[in-house]
Amino acid sequence: MSQYYDIDDIIAEDELVPAVFQVSANGVGLFDSSDETNKVEQGSKVELPFWLARELHLRQAVSINLPHCFNQKTREELAADAAHVDLRNRCPYFYELGRKLFTLVGDKTIGTLLLAAFQTRYREVLIKAQTAALAVAPKFLTLLTKEETKLYEAAQSSMVAFKKWRMGGPRFQKASVLGRKRRPFE
Amino acid sequence: MATQSDPHASEFSAAELEFLAEDEMIEIVPNMRMETLNLICGDFGPFHPQIATQVPLWLAVALKKRGKCTIRPPEWMSVEKLTQVLEAERDSQKTFQPLPFHYVEISRLLFDHARDDIPDIYMVRSLIEDIKDVRFHKIGTGLEVISQRTAALKLEHLTAMEVNIVRPFVVRALQAFYKLDSPEMIQESDLRANRRFPTANHGPKRQLKR
Repeated sequence: MSQYYDIDDIIAEDELVPAVFQVSANGVGLFDSSDETNKVEQGSKVELPFWLARELHLRQAVSINLPHCFNQKTREELAADAAHVDLRNRCPYFYELGRKLFTLVGDKTIGTLLLAAFQTRYREVLIKAQTAALAVAPKFLTLLTKEETKLYEAAQSSMVAFKKWRMGGPRFQKASVLGRKRRPFE
Repeated sequence: MATQSDPHASEFSAAELEFLAEDEMIEIVPNMRMETLNLICGDFGPFHPQIATQVPLWLAVALKKRGKCTIRPPEWMSVEKLTQVLEAERDSQKTFQPLPFHYVEISRLLFDHARDDIPDIYMVRSLIEDIKDVRFHKIGTGLEVISQRTAALKLEHLTAMEVNIVRPFVVRALQAFYKLDSPEMIQESDLRANRRFPTANHGPKRQLKR
C-alpha cells in the first residue's frame, strides 16, 4: 500500500499517464487545449497525472493506457540489456508507477517485467557500488531510477563511512564552543 | 564520542561499533600494584606486577596509555593464525572463517594504542587487511544471489563491522524485491511460461533459438 507521508510515493503519482476520456466533460478544456469550447470530447486522448487518472478511472470516466516507459520498445531494450537502459530519462519512478498501474491496467506482464528488470539492474548496482571509483559513478548514476539511486547510495555511504573511520583522523570531536575565546563582558 | 548515527545510513556508526567492541575482554600484564576494581560491569583485578589478568579492552587501553601495563594480543592475532585464516578464506568461496565478532574494531584499537605490544605488527596488520578485503569481496559476490525468492540471507560468521556495512543496502534491496514480488503482481503460470522478460502480446514475435 502507498505510504501517506512518503514524498517519493507522492511524486511518483505525479507522473503523466496517457488516458482516454470515456465520457465528455465540461469545464476541463485545459486538458485538451486544441479548441476553445472548454470541453473534453468523449474519446479524446489526454495525458493526466497518475493520481488524477486513477480517480477518474475508478469513476469510469477515463481508461488508462500504459505510458511510454512500458511500451514495446522499452521492453525490448530491457530484455536486451536491462542494466544499460536509461530508465531515469523515461520514468524516474519506473517501479513505483509500474506497481500502481498494474492494478488499474489489465496488463499482467508488467509484474514480471518489473521484477526481471530490477533483478538485472540490482546486480549492476551492487557491482558498481562496490567497485566503481567515484569518478566513474556519475555516468552510471544518470541511468538509475530513484529507487536504484537510493540503493546505490545506501551501499556507498556506509562504505565511505567505514573507510573514514579506518583512516582515523581525530578520535575526539571537539564541541564548537570549546576553545573559542570568551568575549569580555560589556 | 561519535555523533549520533544517521537514521538513514546504518543502525550504528563505525565509532559506535568501536565503543561496543571495547567491552571485549583482553589479557594484560600490569606493571603496578592495584586493588581489585569493583565496577558495574564486573570486578577486575587485583593487579600485581607481571601477573596477567583479564580486563575489558577500554580499561586495557586506558592503563596502556598511562604506561601501567602491556597488552597481550589475543590468540587469533598472531601471524600463524592469521595466515591460516587468510588461506582458508581464499580457499572457500562460500563460507566465512570464524573470527571474533569485533575483529576489525579490536585490531584497530590495538594498532592505535598498543603497537609496541604486538609482535610483527606490520605483518599482522597487512594480514588483517588482506583478510578483510577477501571477506568483503566474498560478501559482495554473495549478495548477488539476492533475487525475488530471497526471504532472508544466512550469513554465518559475519562480524559486526561487516554486517553493519552491508545492512542498509541489503535491507533496501530485500524490500524492493519483496514489493515487486507480491503474489498478486506475479502469476505463477506467468513466471513459468517465460522466466525472463515477457514482451507484450502485440508486436511481431521473433523466433528465438530454443
